[in-house]
Amino acid sequence: MEADIAIHANAPAIETDSLVSLPASRVALWIFLAGEIMIFGGLVACFMLYRIAAGGWTDEASHVDWQVGTINTVVLLTSSLTMILALAAVRRNDQQAVKRFLAVTVALGIAFLGVKAFEYHGHIVEGFTPSKGMFWSFYYTMTGLHALHVTGGIVVNSILLIMAIKGTLWARGETRLEIAGLYWHFVDVVWILLFPLLYLSLEAK
Amino acid sequence: MNTEATQDTAKFYFQIWEWLIILLVVGTVIVFMPVSRGLALTIVFAVAAIKGVLVVRNYMHLKHEHLIFYLIAGLPPLLVIIMLLALLPDIAFRH
Repeated sequence: MEADIAIHANAPAIETDSLVSLPASRVALWIFLAGEIMIFGGLVACFMLYRIAAGGWTDEASHVDWQVGTINTVVLLTSSLTMILALAAVRRNDQQAVKRFLAVTVALGIAFLGVKAFEYHGHIVEGFTPSKGMFWSFYYTMTGLHALHVTGGIVVNSILLIMAIKGTLWARGETRLEIAGLYWHFVDVVWILLFPLLYLSLEAK
Repeated sequence: MNTEATQDTAKFYFQIWEWLIILLVVGTVIVFMPVSRGLALTIVFAVAAIKGVLVVRNYMHLKHEHLIFYLIAGLPPLLVIIMLLALLPDIAFRH
């Protein structure tokens, strides 16, 4: 815990709003994330209400593979670790480590989407399309929207990686990585909640 | 920042990741254990909530942030819970 506090104490100041002395970029990003929480929160609430109303969905959910979901969870959790390590690296001005950790984060994000595409392919081949039933409509909407957010994060992280390789990242590197990191960790948190909801809650007998 | 502090920081983030993986295993295995469905689901979602808090507090550094960040992040889940509770009686009485 002390190390984490130390990294904050040593971090150079980023741009602040003169009125409230809070970092404007972080405030803006958190307000953006609040909107995202409303979107995913609304979907989760609807899922729960419809599930209570429908009295189950156990049969439909038995076709979802919790093992594949677990692998994808490990992939995304690990990508969050590499993202925070990239931020720690930029704070100590270790440019090689920043490139390495960003590249791994992007690769893990692509791996997550690859596994998700593999899952979608399997479901669709078996006939479980979004129109198959309410569970599948929710499944594709929630995981699809999440995958869209992962794609956005991959694009942002790729841009930062290219900037790092070209040497143009470093002027405001910490702020850029911090903001991109906040978004990436948020995407991770959403999956942390979607995984038990879609893969585990209906598995319990 | 000195090398020792750098190593401590990386070690700290690794420890958080290890806890996340341990909790993932616990939350997944419990579903297949001979416990009641209600207990299993309670543990599954409690574990998921702990994992989420671990990421938000340590990787998103919310524990070092100003109170306003807690309010910004906390208001939407509160609104979702209010919506859920407001609609729940309708679902419960209709079915």
